[in-house]
Amino acid sequence: MSNNILEVKNLKKHFDTPKGTLHAVDGVDFTIEAGKTLGVVGESGCGKSTLGRVILHLLDSTSGEIIYDGENITKVDKKQFIDLRKEMQIIFQDPFSSLDPRMTVSEIIKEPLVIHGVTKDKNELDKRVSELMSTVGLVDRLVNAYPHELDGGRRQRIGIARALALNPKFIVADEPVSALDVSIQAQVLNLMQDLQQEFGLTYMFITHDLSVVKHISDEILVMYLGKMVEKAPAKELFANPLHPYTKALLSAIPTPSLTKKRERILLKGEIVSPIEPKPGCRFAPRCPYAEELCRTTEPEIEEVSLGHEIVCHFVKEINKL
Amino acid sequence: MSNEFLSIEDLHIHYITQEGTVKAVNGIDLKLNKGETLGLVGETGAGKTTTALGILRLIPNPPGKIMDGKIILEGRNLLELSEEEMRKIRGKKVSMIFQDPMTSLNPVMTVGEQIAEVIEIHEDVNKEEAKEKAKEMLELVGISGGRAGDYPHQFSGGMKQRVVIAIALACSPELLIADEPTTALDVTIQAQVLDLMQGLKKEFNTAMILITHDLGVVAEACDKVAIIYAGEIVEYADIESLFASPKHPYTQGLFASIPSLDEDVERLNPIKGLMPEPTDLPSGCRFHPRCPYAEAKCSEMDPKSVEVGAEHRVKCLIYSGEVSGKGIENE
Repeated sequence: MSNNILEVKNLKKHFDTPKGTLHAVDGVDFTIEAGKTLGVVGESGCGKSTLGRVILHLLDSTSGEIIYDGENITKVDKKQFIDLRKEMQIIFQDPFSSLDPRMTVSEIIKEPLVIHGVTKDKNELDKRVSELMSTVGLVDRLVNAYPHELDGGRRQRIGIARALALNPKFIVADEPVSALDVSIQAQVLNLMQDLQQEFGLTYMFITHDLSVVKHISDEILVMYLGKMVEKAPAKELFANPLHPYTKALLSAIPTPSLTKKRERILLKGEIVSPIEPKPGCRFAPRCPYAEELCRTTEPEIEEVSLGHEIVCHFVKEINKL
Repeated sequence: MSNEFLSIEDLHIHYITQEGTVKAVNGIDLKLNKGETLGLVGETGAGKTTTALGILRLIPNPPGKIMDGKIILEGRNLLELSEEEMRKIRGKKVSMIFQDPMTSLNPVMTVGEQIAEVIEIHEDVNKEEAKEKAKEMLELVGISGGRAGDYPHQFSGGMKQRVVIAIALACSPELLIADEPTTALDVTIQAQVLDLMQGLKKEFNTAMILITHDLGVVAEACDKVAIIYAGEIVEYADIESLFASPKHPYTQGLFASIPSLDEDVERLNPIKGLMPEPTDLPSGCRFHPRCPYAEAKCSEMDPKSVEVGAEHRVKCLIYSGEVSGKGIENE
């Protein structure tokens, strides 16, 4: 019996646009073990946020399967959807636009409890709000404050408290620290780790920040234009990146150290349009190793070592495996 | 005569608002030589952008006001020049790259026109020549000259930032102020833009002030670093000594907050607390409420800038011997 809380099979999300079909997520497979963190990295437009939203049913999937806790939740009716919301929650990227400016801190945190009818007793609601606030490190006196009175770090804590209100098991965190300064970012990351330990949460952590993802993840999925290009345990990925895109991505991170300089691989060009993508490997137009095969045939997932999966025709040749 | 190019002395900039006076910049001293890059590092609200706007005298007034200090560029105090003279300096001698390429371009002008505009204003050329030069500038930043007739929305984020760089470099400025030039970009594009800026800087021997919150970018691109906190420079050093041994507790805290790619750290060690309200700065050392080594004296005495090594200055009472700083790492 596996201990996977979430299993995603060949998940696709396409959008119809005036210019054609936009392949935002185009066949992604992965599993997340309960209590672990899967980091999803990629650059703007690679489909990482869409992936998170499709899993939570904030967007409907085009095809594929989502299995949560042994149950197929790809298609759900309204009743199931509401039940699901108690299990799966999201922390949004921007703590400035994801909180209602006309609601107080206590109203924001209370809202999910009221909607799901957890309790009608006013005292009990207030008690729960106060508990949640102390869990995420917000002092009680802020209970009647409005979001605009608070700084980014505190706002993000409200977002986290709101996500935790219904005791979910699985949380999608979509760039939860990107809008924060480094010292505040570190405080929020520590908080998220503590909460994971305390409540046994499972995270899907979406970010473009590679040092953050390495710090918080057990496993990392690298995406490029709606496709997975590489997946590996966090340490393995950073020690031994195999896909040409992952290599370039890791080499591009500016490191705050003068002694450990990486050799930088500069990629040519930029991400091409995900609208009606050309056949073959999506990365081929920017790939330094691309050959004819890459432009015509899509590569398959290959497991090169335990848990290290990669999607590239020439992985063996490039890495001399 | 030294080759000192820019020197800022005791600069104070305040914003006078209804809720009180925001002391954004409080006595900043900086020096910059030709061809050097200075990194100005700090968190949101530290006063980085205000300092940059101050150099160009672009502080919105009211509410902003330069209260005191000198900004000396090649022997001339910019704060004493007339608006007319200042206008000749902006875009020509000193130019600026703004943070957000999405909003710093004019959406209803082609990129070619926007580059040509600054050339026409500052150089003795006619419209046609300016257009030609604009195309050359585009080529220089790696965009085909044929796209000069395109509008900003037709470009991606990385390309828009290149256009902004092309505008800033169009009149070969001697000082370039870059305010978070790569923050809005993805890492692979950031790498391209940093690489481009380094190359152009070498080619033109431009002095540069690079404003950033990313110590990684500083390590890539700077010669000197100034760490700014609550409108004061708390540490100033050349890049080697800063990265080898950061002295100020705030600088050390910044380094400890960044998840490392090379070492496995179970837990980060962030600076506790929050930035102080700029309308209500703490007494004494501005950092003392968040400092793990603070003693009673820290809230009473204003720390002075102390020399701790060649061109390495720190504003902290530990280094002037007033406070023991027990437990601080300092080799």
